[in-house]
Amino acid sequence: MDYQIWLIVGIAGGAISIAVAVYLYFWVLRQDPGSEKAQQVAGWIRSGANTYLKRLYTALASLALVLGIIIALIFSFNFETIGTTGVQIQPGMGAVMAACFIIGALSSAVAGYMGMRVAVEANVRTATAAQKSLQQAFRLSFYAGAVLGLAMVGLAVIGMSIIFMLTKDSHAVLGFSFGASTLALLAKAGGGIYTKTADIAADLVGKVELGIPEDDPRNPAVVADNVGDNVGDVAGMGADIFDSYVASAVAVMILGASFASAMQYKYTVIPLILCTIGTFASLLGIEFVKVKEGGKPGAALNRGTIITCIIYVAALLVLSFTKVIDVGIFWAATIGIVTGVIIGFTSDFFTNDQYKPVQETARVSTSGSAITIITGYSYGLISIVPSILGVVVATLLSYNVAVNNGLPGIYGIGVAAVGMLSISGMIVSADAYGPIVDNARGIAEMAGMGQDVIERADVLDSAGNTAKAITKGFSISAAALTVLALFAAYAEVVKANGIDLSISLREPMVIAGVFLGAMTPPLFSALLMLSVTHNAFDMIEEIRRQFHEKPGILAGTEDPDYDRCVGLAAHGALSSLLLPAFLAVGLPLVIGFLLGPNALGGFLGGAIFTGVIFALLMANAGGLWDNAKKYIETGKFGGPGSEAHKAAVVGDTVGDPFKDTAGPSLNTLITVMSLVASLFAPIIAVFHLF
Amino acid sequence: METHFYLSLLPEALIVSMLSPEEFGTYYAVGSSKKSRGQAMFFEVDPNYRNPYFHMDEALKRCVPHEDGRPKASIYVSVYRVLEHIDPDALLDLYLTTQDGRTLGLKASDELPENGSGLHLYQEVVPVTPLVVSRLDPVSFFDLIVKNPTSLISVPAITFAELQLGELSSDPEMGMLNNLPYSNPDHLRQCLSDVKTKYVSTKMVDRTHSPVIPYRTIKNGFFVGNRDKLRYYPMPHADVLRIENYRWFRSANM
Repeated sequence: MDYQIWLIVGIAGGAISIAVAVYLYFWVLRQDPGSEKAQQVAGWIRSGANTYLKRLYTALASLALVLGIIIALIFSFNFETIGTTGVQIQPGMGAVMAACFIIGALSSAVAGYMGMRVAVEANVRTATAAQKSLQQAFRLSFYAGAVLGLAMVGLAVIGMSIIFMLTKDSHAVLGFSFGASTLALLAKAGGGIYTKTADIAADLVGKVELGIPEDDPRNPAVVADNVGDNVGDVAGMGADIFDSYVASAVAVMILGASFASAMQYKYTVIPLILCTIGTFASLLGIEFVKVKEGGKPGAALNRGTIITCIIYVAALLVLSFTKVIDVGIFWAATIGIVTGVIIGFTSDFFTNDQYKPVQETARVSTSGSAITIITGYSYGLISIVPSILGVVVATLLSYNVAVNNGLPGIYGIGVAAVGMLSISGMIVSADAYGPIVDNARGIAEMAGMGQDVIERADVLDSAGNTAKAITKGFSISAAALTVLALFAAYAEVVKANGIDLSISLREPMVIAGVFLGAMTPPLFSALLMLSVTHNAFDMIEEIRRQFHEKPGILAGTEDPDYDRCVGLAAHGALSSLLLPAFLAVGLPLVIGFLLGPNALGGFLGGAIFTGVIFALLMANAGGLWDNAKKYIETGKFGGPGSEAHKAAVVGDTVGDPFKDTAGPSLNTLITVMSLVASLFAPIIAVFHLF
Repeated sequence: METHFYLSLLPEALIVSMLSPEEFGTYYAVGSSKKSRGQAMFFEVDPNYRNPYFHMDEALKRCVPHEDGRPKASIYVSVYRVLEHIDPDALLDLYLTTQDGRTLGLKASDELPENGSGLHLYQEVVPVTPLVVSRLDPVSFFDLIVKNPTSLISVPAITFAELQLGELSSDPEMGMLNNLPYSNPDHLRQCLSDVKTKYVSTKMVDRTHSPVIPYRTIKNGFFVGNRDKLRYYPMPHADVLRIENYRWFRSANM
């Protein structure tokens, strides 16, 4: 079979996905934008989000340009021949790698930007639609989320397919993935710092000190808070899943490229086939996400995810029967997608107020914030167990089904990761819906819409929170499998350069690498969270200053200066990214060039294990504390204003940077570090001090 | 500009102001440049009411706009034993202002609340501020505190509110606290058990309790009166407040 046709199918699938995204974007724009007041509030949020993204992308463009030049220079030399014919100069290769890197970064940025653009248009329209019915508001917000989901997978599939079609080199696609991941890391980390800086500052002064309700227009940080929902949860998350999606496919492509030459092409293209099928499944699945008036939006989102999975597996079955893919690949991909969904839903167990962990954390809050923290943290640690077991089961099963069907086991693990992420179109659509309805609620509040509108927005928002929790578990677990495949890809690239990787804990260099790697995710988390607290402190001072100098703000006779808080959050977020960026991109290179490929292998192993564990802990503990507070606010254990509520507010504040800043950035960190290692492996294999 | 007399309950004071009740509530709760903030409760007093105990006309003369034309926000007429010197019939609407400055007006009712079964929790607001539990319904409690000549403890006039007890009203030992944010619930349960099972009809739960009330805990409403008259200001049901006074309701439920 000519597998090149599948590259064309992939490009066509990606184009259809982007076309549908564009159609939905303009459909959203055609909806009623609402009253003048609502549009004014939405305008503030849009303006703040645009300002931040402009600054972020300007900074990232400079960074991408510098990295692109470095990549172009480094890859213009072929060091593999240093021992035989000496270093060969091949400027074409350098230019290709640099171009792929920049295209990857650009695609990631475009996906995030499209998602953010539609989100800041959809929020006010969702609030306006909620004046009429829940059904209309849900449809509008979900379709707006789908713009991000479909644009993201469309751009990724097209990018990977075209690059591979033109270069026939999976290493070039690795450059594309590295570009996407580098940008994703900084977009996610920066967005995470921004959103929690604004959220914490707005809450601590507004709610705790002054008793102002959430989303009250008198709070100077309220616009920054709503902007944060967009730049953190939409643009950041869009870029983040784009990176995992591409990285998982690239890892398998590199493994496929190590096959015997007769099978090489087929097994390099197969991950792209899986992504293409997932794209079509997502396009169909989105049509099943509908809710009737009075229905449950959360159930509609879950239904869409499950139907997408069924369509995907059915399509893979057809491909398996028609011998397009092997039976082993069918099973590995199916194991991946089923495990991903199960892990997603088990994450929900730890963060949903219908279950014991949240209820218990709320109950013990009656004894003070220390017990709240200990209990939530402990449940966060326990929440690691089902996800890790899921990853273990997926790893072992996919390895064995691959081996039993004549494929390398590690290739099966990579396929499981691709299977997990291949329905990202649907997953991201459901995830991006969350911040849109959250914003819609804020606009309804600030624009003085009726109580019925706010109650509908609350129903929509609640479903968004659940979708968010499921997506986090899903994306972290997928990242775990992805980096395992990337690790194997790294070993393959090193091997291709004459070094058989030896990761033994009896080797001091490996031990050093493992420890340094294990240290990196906690250090990275700490840097991000300290950035949040530092920036939040500055913003708290600014909010207090405004209330102090303008007493009329609280009285409603003077307007707050929203721009000051928006500017502070943006500046704080961007200026905090330098050291985390170095840890992600620079540290693996330092380890590799100083301590050698084996140490770098140990470094990746250490980083992967602590990264996954910390990511799960932080995402789930943060979500749990948040929902324990909300559970008390429903009238349990004394309700709002009670001692339990005060303790739960402390827990929620601690959990904010856990779940929305550090936690979600960790999977991108380990992906970027793995990609850096794989990309620079040929050079590290030649040049290392020890 | 129109001038108003307000009887503030937090603290007890008679004030003359050029602000409307809503403006005064916001000013009193959040709008002071002196940065004193917090919940406010006040009655509007009949502008024609006069009592020689207060220098009301003198205060009116002083209540003039600022040089830049801004209305005078407040002139304190009296800050001591104010309530007992005001005829309850002179009290107009009662205003409840949240700590972020949203104001709700309550009108007096001619009908007193029906006597329900179970125990009661009262927050006294003026002139003293204990939190007490009682077997007595609000009217009987008022009679005990204000009208009973044999009581060792009495006040010439009082403002108090009945607070919700939920399941604790009938089952102090095992009832669920649910949405009630009271501190030290074990002590509250013990006090309720005592008035249920022992000879005493009323027991003080907290002698230094802050008169600041989480408005969402108010059960029937506010009671104000002296030896001659008791007036009742019913609190609308939460569902009504949610629909008709959403902004206030939201702030009150923080």
